[in-house]
Amino acid sequence: MSALETSATTSPRASADRRVEVKGLSKSFQLAKTTIEAVRDVTFDVRRGEFVALLGPSGSGKSTVLNMIASLIRPTAGEILIDGKRVVSGRATPNVGYVFQRDTLFPWRTVADNIGYGLELSGVSARERKERIAECVARAGLRGFENAYPSALSGGMRQRAALMRTLIVEPQILLMDEPFGALDTHTKIDMHEVLLRIWEREQQTVLFVTHDLGEALTLADRIILFSARPGRIKDMFAVDFARARDAVKVRETPRYAELFQHIWHSLGEEFIKGRSA
Amino acid sequence: MRRYSTLGTIGWQVLICAIVLSVWQWGYDLRARLPWLVPDLLDPYFISKPSMIFDNFLIQSCLKSKLGVFNGWFNGEFAKCLTRNENNLWAATAITLKNTFFGFITGVVSGFVAGLILGRSDRLSAIFQPFITAVNSIPRIALAPIIVLAFGIGDMSKIVTSWIVVVFLVFFNTFEGARSIDEGFTNAARLLGASEWQITRTVVIPSTMAWVFASLTPAISFALIGVIVGEFIGAERGIGRLIIESEARGEASGMMIAVVVLMLVGVVLSAIIWRLQAYLLRWQRQRSAE
Ligand SMILES: Nc1ncnc2c1ncn2[C@@H]1O[C@H](COP(=O)(O)OP(=O)(O)OP(=O)(O)O)[C@@H](O)[C@H]1O
Ligand SMILES: [Mg+2]
Repeated sequence: MSALETSATTSPRASADRRVEVKGLSKSFQLAKTTIEAVRDVTFDVRRGEFVALLGPSGSGKSTVLNMIASLIRPTAGEILIDGKRVVSGRATPNVGYVFQRDTLFPWRTVADNIGYGLELSGVSARERKERIAECVARAGLRGFENAYPSALSGGMRQRAALMRTLIVEPQILLMDEPFGALDTHTKIDMHEVLLRIWEREQQTVLFVTHDLGEALTLADRIILFSARPGRIKDMFAVDFARARDAVKVRETPRYAELFQHIWHSLGEEFIKGRSA
Repeated sequence: MRRYSTLGTIGWQVLICAIVLSVWQWGYDLRARLPWLVPDLLDPYFISKPSMIFDNFLIQSCLKSKLGVFNGWFNGEFAKCLTRNENNLWAATAITLKNTFFGFITGVVSGFVAGLILGRSDRLSAIFQPFITAVNSIPRIALAPIIVLAFGIGDMSKIVTSWIVVVFLVFFNTFEGARSIDEGFTNAARLLGASEWQITRTVVIPSTMAWVFASLTPAISFALIGVIVGEFIGAERGIGRLIIESEARGEASGMMIAVVVLMLVGVVLSAIIWRLQAYLLRWQRQRSAE
């Protein structure tokens, strides 16, 4: 065990401080006649205001874990508590926002109407909605595209719009599934800046899925490393750079290189396994 | 797709119309000289002639009297002519349109609602599946005589006939549309706090719209067919009735007038649907409009 590793499951803090508790979570899918074991016995906690990255190769069950936390699919075994309350699949938990891996902007709504969707649902007045949409549009750098339909946007713009659609309702727990996976490196780091500033201000609890180690190091307080299928927790790493971080400068520190090296090997093994699996 | 000049396209269309109309008008006259070239079908006894059709149109629509004099608008001749004939062309068109409209609207609304409900409920669709398949394999138009028998020769039987051909068409399209909704959209909505009703209103209905519209253009012709067949079987007024009467008199031009009017009605109604679709589904078109 390296000194860099921490054991997150035995948090010394009070349980009230634990926002998300995942206990012995497993999930198998029945596909035709074969059973696919996607996730096996995953246990971890996320503290209030913590930024946790789930890192692992493709097919290691990261999205599946997030979907179970979001109540979209039912676990085969285990349970999930959010603020001490059990998640019931099929019933959305209030305060949880989800940015999907796949683009789910409504193609029949304009950018502004997509972003304002959550406010519309809760009956916020048109005037207030307009103000808050304008604020979000500005933050996402989408000015001038308010009345465009998603089909007229680039992939990066769509992803930013999707992020704002989730953030506008101010969820305190944010589940993000490779939200910047399809972006070029430059745009990605821009988005890291945007996200870091938002997170510093609002202090949401974030679970961020990625297979990009650099991204995980830039953003997270802690990295949970998933093994190749079936997804299990292979390792956890604390990322102890000072806050507030600068998405570009943090990459230039020696500490970043050190952590990168350390985790890289562990991750590399899983990628090789994932490929041969 | 290459874009052809509009003028060229219109030029060709005019030419095609001119050829068809000319053959229709003068083709049979060639028979005396070239009997092997001209088929029997071109006999004006069957298909009349454009000039005769136009002439008869002026008479049936009360624009011209039977003596060949134009009716004045203001001396009351036109109005008198209209009252003399209960089923004049205008009245017939109005009544057929009215029944088509009601058949279409009731068919679309009920088909849409039923399609949404069954499309969103696995349980209900499992229960009703065999019945729907069974009823759907009946050629609906075969029910027209029964409907006229049951509802009489008034407007109601026409509306019901029209409804029954439209409702299934719209139902099946809506059903398929509601089944094939991308779960990503419903999940996103649910996680943003949408209730089931809000999901239906803001996700299910908009994403089913494209499917529904795909059925509306055929539905409008089906509605028209339903009404006309109903009128063939038993009616006192309407364009279908005009056709039957002309047929009894062996008057091809009368039937042709009705057919032309039906065609125009169909074109206008389809154009309305098309405009509505272009507006409601404008989000599908933005990219290609660049
Ligand atoms: N609905 C489903 N039905 C059947 N199998 C599924 C389903 N969803 C996921 N799986 C399987 O579960 C495994 C884990 O999938 P998951 O999407 O969670 O991986 P992931 O870690 O998010 O991968 P990626 O990084 O590529 O997004 C995969 O092998 C996948 O085939
Ligand atoms: Mg995934």
